Amino acid sequence: MSVSLEYKKVKRTGFIPAFLWGGTLAAVVPVINMAVRSEMYLGQPNSPIQILMGASWQMIAMLNILLVVVGPCLLYHLEFADNAMQKMKSLPIRESSIFLAKFILTSFMCIIVLTTEAISIIFCVSYWFEIGNNFWLELAKNFGYSFLLTLPCVLLSLLIASTFKNMWMSLGIGVVCVFTATMLPTNNFVLSLFPFAIPFQIFVNTETTQAMHYIYAAIIEIVAIGFAEFVFIKVRRSLE
Amino acid sequence: MSFLSLVGVEFKKIKRSKIFVILFIATVILWIPSILNAEMNFNMQAEGISPENNFFIQGFMGMAWFMFPASMVVGTVLLSQTERTNKGILKMLALPISTIKLCLAKFVVLLALAVSQILMMVGMYYISAAIVTATQDYNFILSPIFIFKEISSISISTIPMLAFFWMLSVCIQTPIFSIGIGLASIVPSVLIINTKVWFVYPMSYPFFVITSEYGKLAKNLTTAQVEFFPWIPVAISITIVCLCISCFRFGQVERE
Repeated sequence: MSVSLEYKKVKRTGFIPAFLWGGTLAAVVPVINMAVRSEMYLGQPNSPIQILMGASWQMIAMLNILLVVVGPCLLYHLEFADNAMQKMKSLPIRESSIFLAKFILTSFMCIIVLTTEAISIIFCVSYWFEIGNNFWLELAKNFGYSFLLTLPCVLLSLLIASTFKNMWMSLGIGVVCVFTATMLPTNNFVLSLFPFAIPFQIFVNTETTQAMHYIYAAIIEIVAIGFAEFVFIKVRRSLE
Repeated sequence: MSFLSLVGVEFKKIKRSKIFVILFIATVILWIPSILNAEMNFNMQAEGISPENNFFIQGFMGMAWFMFPASMVVGTVLLSQTERTNKGILKMLALPISTIKLCLAKFVVLLALAVSQILMMVGMYYISAAIVTATQDYNFILSPIFIFKEISSISISTIPMLAFFWMLSVCIQTPIFSIGIGLASIVPSVLIINTKVWFVYPMSYPFFVITSEYGKLAKNLTTAQVEFFPWIPVAISITIVCLCISCFRFGQVERE
């Protein structure tokens, strides 16, 4: 029920078109990349999906992360801007269920964004390369992995957005975090686990054992951040 | 009300916004990797750039490509949202003040935020250069005159970009679109500085200026150099057009 309520709230804020346009913009990246300099990639020995992801995932992931930072800021700005949060608090609704509903909504939008990007990869492979035997399985695994690694980032930006009443604070901190993520060295395992850096990982270009480590780490982060938000809400409520 | 006192009023409004904390944290985070990886500056001899110049340029390149434009997008959010609560902007518009002056006063505040972040960058640069000088046993501190020349060219080159961001935040009422377009427009600037038409894209100016400076300091590296002819007229016209549009649109939605 509360997820559909959240959906109704964002109806006129441009939240959904922003994700759709952002996804489309990110999906155009590999197409343009191939159209402009396909000769650079066609001769490479790897599988098509590895080549395409390696060539354009950095930029796509950056756009995805920016979306994931801006979206939650807006979701909580809705509540804080005209003191709607106070009214929500007086209703028989738990604050953590509002958070959960916002999380489900944002994750669902992330699925749509990643699907758009997957369609663009399918197009690129079928147009410039050939669709191989295990292409579909590889594609599904790859984007499922990307989705799982995006979730910690979604949760953390929701946590930041729910902490500050002013949108510029949550957006500013989000931007600083994204910037930090771009500065971190990619070859260091521990540092690349930073929730805003982890979506830059690519499944097809990492070994399976390494990828499994990332999956475990992402699950741990999801649980940890979710728990932190739960505790934070309880503590803030009791201090108010 | 004179323009200066209007600007003063705008500054008072953002006094408790804590925006300077965010701008400052960003500059601190920027210099930490440079301090930790300071010994890498000695491996850049192949490009023919001296370690101290490399230290300076790498730090400022990190600033110009993402951190600075993104912080300025946050600044525009601050300026447009502080007065949203309790409809403060409606009260401002009801006063006998020209809206154009009000709009320009807010833009001046945005410029001041930009300058203050660049000055924080310089301050952090000197602190980290002093730290690195001590840890690496090599003088990393550059002369203030050189730094001043560099940062003034960067600061001036950011004005068209700021005017563009300001226009976005004034014209687009749904905040997610103005923020989203602002942030998304930063990402391709890395690609655009390598094309011939970089001068029509204001978001790439600061990064272009700093990369061309990199090419000047590194003897064995050629980067595109700043050519004033198509650039300056285009930049000035972009700035004027953006400011005119934002002055014209400012407060129009609220008055309807």
